[in-house]
Amino acid sequence: MSADYVLEMKNIGKRYGENTVLEGVTLQVRPGEIHALLGENGAGKSTLMNVLFGMPVIHTTGGFDGQVLLNGEEVHISSPSDAMTKGIGMVHQEFMLLPGFTVTENIKLNREMTNRNLVSRLLGKNMETLDMKAMSSAARKALDSVGMSIDEYTRVEGMPVGYMQFIEIAREIDKTGVKVLVFDEPTAVLTESEAEQLIRVMKAIAETGIAIIFITHRLDEVMEAADAITILRDGHLVTSIQKKNTSIIQLAELMIGRKGEAMVSVESRPLPQDQVALHVDDLYVNMPGEEVRGVSFDVFEGEILGIGGLAGQGKLGIPNGIMSLYDSEGNVEFFGQPLKLGNAADALRAGMAMVSEDRKGVGLLLDQSIEDNIVFTAMQVKKEYLSFLGPISLKNSRQIREQANRMINELDIRCFGPTQHTGTLSGGNQQKVCIARALTMDPKFLFVSEPTRGIDIGAKKLVLETLVKLNREQGMTIVMVSSELQELRSICDRIMIVSEGEVVDTLSPDASDADFGLAMSGIKPSEHKKEAMNNDNQ
Amino acid sequence: MTTSKVRRIIAFALTAIALIAIVCGIVTLILRNGQTGEDALQSMRLHSVINASGDVETFVAIAEKQATEAAKQEYNEKYKSLPRNDPNRISMAELTKMRKAEAAEATRAMYANSSVDLSAMDTTGLKAALLDYANKLKDYYDAKDEAEKAYRATHEAEARAKAEAERQQKLEAGEEVIGDPVIVIDMSKFVATDEMLEKQAIADEAYLIVGTELKKFYPLIDDETLNTLKPTLSDIVFQPGDDFALLYDRYVEKGSAVALENAFLATLVRHADDIIYAGLALLILALMILYYETLSKKLGLPRIVLGSFFILLCFLTLWFDLSLPALLSNTLVRLGMNSIMVLAMVPGIQCGISLNLGLPIGLVAGLVGGLCTIEWGIPGIAGFAVAIAIGVVIAAIAGWLYAQMLNRLKGEEMSVTTYVGFSIVSLMCIAWLVLPFNSLKLRWPMGTGLRNTVGLDSTNFKHILDDFLSFSIGDLTIPTGALLFMALMCLLVWLFTRSKTGVAMAAVGNNPRFAEATGINVNKMRVIGTVLSTMLGAIGILVYSQSYGFIQLYTAPRQMGFVAASAILIGGATTTRGKISNVLIGTFLFQGVLTLGMPVANVLVPGSTFSETLRILISNGIILYALTKSGGGSRG
Repeated sequence: MSADYVLEMKNIGKRYGENTVLEGVTLQVRPGEIHALLGENGAGKSTLMNVLFGMPVIHTTGGFDGQVLLNGEEVHISSPSDAMTKGIGMVHQEFMLLPGFTVTENIKLNREMTNRNLVSRLLGKNMETLDMKAMSSAARKALDSVGMSIDEYTRVEGMPVGYMQFIEIAREIDKTGVKVLVFDEPTAVLTESEAEQLIRVMKAIAETGIAIIFITHRLDEVMEAADAITILRDGHLVTSIQKKNTSIIQLAELMIGRKGEAMVSVESRPLPQDQVALHVDDLYVNMPGEEVRGVSFDVFEGEILGIGGLAGQGKLGIPNGIMSLYDSEGNVEFFGQPLKLGNAADALRAGMAMVSEDRKGVGLLLDQSIEDNIVFTAMQVKKEYLSFLGPISLKNSRQIREQANRMINELDIRCFGPTQHTGTLSGGNQQKVCIARALTMDPKFLFVSEPTRGIDIGAKKLVLETLVKLNREQGMTIVMVSSELQELRSICDRIMIVSEGEVVDTLSPDASDADFGLAMSGIKPSEHKKEAMNNDNQ
Repeated sequence: MTTSKVRRIIAFALTAIALIAIVCGIVTLILRNGQTGEDALQSMRLHSVINASGDVETFVAIAEKQATEAAKQEYNEKYKSLPRNDPNRISMAELTKMRKAEAAEATRAMYANSSVDLSAMDTTGLKAALLDYANKLKDYYDAKDEAEKAYRATHEAEARAKAEAERQQKLEAGEEVIGDPVIVIDMSKFVATDEMLEKQAIADEAYLIVGTELKKFYPLIDDETLNTLKPTLSDIVFQPGDDFALLYDRYVEKGSAVALENAFLATLVRHADDIIYAGLALLILALMILYYETLSKKLGLPRIVLGSFFILLCFLTLWFDLSLPALLSNTLVRLGMNSIMVLAMVPGIQCGISLNLGLPIGLVAGLVGGLCTIEWGIPGIAGFAVAIAIGVVIAAIAGWLYAQMLNRLKGEEMSVTTYVGFSIVSLMCIAWLVLPFNSLKLRWPMGTGLRNTVGLDSTNFKHILDDFLSFSIGDLTIPTGALLFMALMCLLVWLFTRSKTGVAMAAVGNNPRFAEATGINVNKMRVIGTVLSTMLGAIGILVYSQSYGFIQLYTAPRQMGFVAASAILIGGATTTRGKISNVLIGTFLFQGVLTLGMPVANVLVPGSTFSETLRILISNGIILYALTKSGGGSRG
């Protein structure tokens, strides 16, 4: 019996403790089909692939619900190597190649072709001679099929990343009996022409009957390569459709979606545009995993600017770079004054403050009390909350206590008192302490980075309301970076979307889901429309 | 049943037992000081005395002696005149032998049934006489003590001058002189005073009365025997420093327990104080069980474990009748002498280099300072100040270099500090051999190099802090100066931790990324912390040396870093968080367990070398235990 589908994952559900990360997800892949898997960060793509490959993290946390069928037969995949023998291959995002080995050796690693010799007859298979000729020709064949003209005797060391990607693919193709190949964000590190070549290769592989699961966030590539598309959102299956029945705009909409009602509603107002508070020109930030590659933007005094985008695209790098938490270069002007990058104290002294996304790593002294945390920056940078005895400065306990109590009241920090250690607070209250510390600096300009990450709904609401209040009542200019598009849309005046370290577009919070979806996948919505119109005209 | 309920029940049961024990102890203590105690002692004393004087062989000897005399007389009267061939005549030797045998037999028969049946005889006279004798003896010994004290006081200056002169002579001859001269007061010229003689005469009179009374029991006792018995009896009746427990134990040792009318009650009376101690210990145990959760949250398990051990040791010293106040003053001295070195851990921990096991850098700097003052002969407090000044300056320079190295090896502090600590000690072993010191107090008399231990004396800074304003309450001596100095250093460090720099430094240790985000120079703060720690180490070793009385060179400072680190860990610090309260609690517990543990262990397992073995066991055991808690232990 030949099944319609080479791979079927039926009603997959997965829970990590209390947390449901996948529920009733079905994925059906036909032979020779390029099947795109779409979704925002945290939509459940990686968990689904972990299930497919039988990763230990799935088994050690109680397994999963649902069935996995290969060619119509139910299989139990116990480990990644088991998946490989069953014909499921993976092209990794990080390359797994041995740099000192040649291309051939890398492709045939652990599957070497050998000839028997005298020693091996005596001592067993491990002593057989490598049949380099046969191996080279097999490698050549695999390389040709991915369109690589590179010499198979070259060492991998020092090759451009694009080449390594293709060698990886060649290695997977060379394996006999591969039925399904998973490409995890294969184009993220490739140049445009390499990406085009990759898609050509994928199509060629698919023609040989191998099914491809293509994980990406680039909608244009999906439209170009995929035959079928499955979209996940928040661990649920949104839809599974054929490419010919959809459009890029619909995909963008489906991917973003409306997630319930806005928690905080703000009256719309004219965008403050009188004075530029922060002018950023050609900023590069070397923040691992969140590199920024040349962004320029202006922030107007009195506005709330949102910075959105998918994880790993560089949105976090912008505030961290301007506040000099990571190596950065570029021109930054703050109220007309040039700001020197490199020392966090300069930015703080100029009147900026930041609430870091890395609460426990950067935002708090976990072993110290709430009050010491709150006044720390003001004490060090502005020399406040100190009493002076000649050259000696000592903490002014009374002032510190007053300020801490004021902040605890204003921000509703739930604690036993200002001397409680911040390490024992809940995530939401820790975040409030971080905000209190920034506010104690009395800043003109506030960066808040992922302010609602990992905190409960009540605390989220309060944090967002506090930001709005600060902006409206004290005229504080706020730049908020968040992965939660809904939050950005609820309180921001403008939202800047970052993709691959660059600014794609700045949108109004009222812009459509489709526009946000396109921008997040790196396509400027206005240009796309123009293109679409052109296409229609043709 | 929940654990808390079980705990409460156990605690209440223990409290009940404890209260019973305490009440029981107090009652018996009252009995001891009242008639019951007196009665018990008297009957035991009587029994002992009668036993001691009622030795059968003594009486046989007396009887034989008397018989010999009698036989001689009989011979002279009856047989001497008889002719030689008279059949009735016997030789004198034979007669004597015969009469002696008869007398011995008679005496043995007379005392055959052990000693005297006390119940059948009126003992009141002897009892009263013995009591009177005991009191008179006490008067005599008191007088003797006083007279000797007076003699010592008048002759001390003379003896001191003599010792100094000898010492000077030795120094001039180039001989080894360690420590202050030992002053020996020659008591050979001590002559009993009139008062003593008078008291002695009175005591002798009392003894005569005892003798008269004894003769009623043992008709055979003569004056000569009484004289022979005198030292034995006086020892039984009274010895200087006697109290109830000592007397009781002495009589029990002599087998007089049988004389007690109510042996059980007497035993209770004897152990009245021990019963109270046990009651108190149980009460503390009950409280600890009851409030275990609060305690463990406030203090953490290690402190509870060691604190309980310390309290247990306190009770054991009381139980074994060791002098607890003397041991506690020893603990206080050691608290003062070690605390600064432990305090040196605080800036290290706070600035993020974790436990500064490279403390020996500061220690050797301090030692060099100390040696300089001896070399230059600067006396007293000025010498101590100069030593600290030199030590601190050297420590600051060395600490700065050390900090540069630590900044280049971030993340490996534990191994780096340990390695540096060991290395500097080994390096200094060479340095001690070649440093150009010339004082004979410092150098070996022959060859090159400095001595292993340089004795401090009154011309240097020996006990300069310990003796400052020190005072005694009974056996408890308070080393006021050392404790004040400790408090001063703690205050300074505390003030520093509250300064802007101190706050920044603590943030660097706590979370370097946080500090960097505020624009704080992390490396600079680490340098400040390391230098401070090293400087405190220099001061610490000088405080240690002044109290110890010796400057120890060569390998001596090697372990001190570990001892200090353990003390602060026991005090509740972790490798990333340390406060001054941790220093004080930790040093007290560490040194307290060490000072109390050894005497107690010596009583438990008597043996000459055991105490040294045990000292190493206890101190290294605590270090090991502390290091297992370096992750923060089980703080709630």
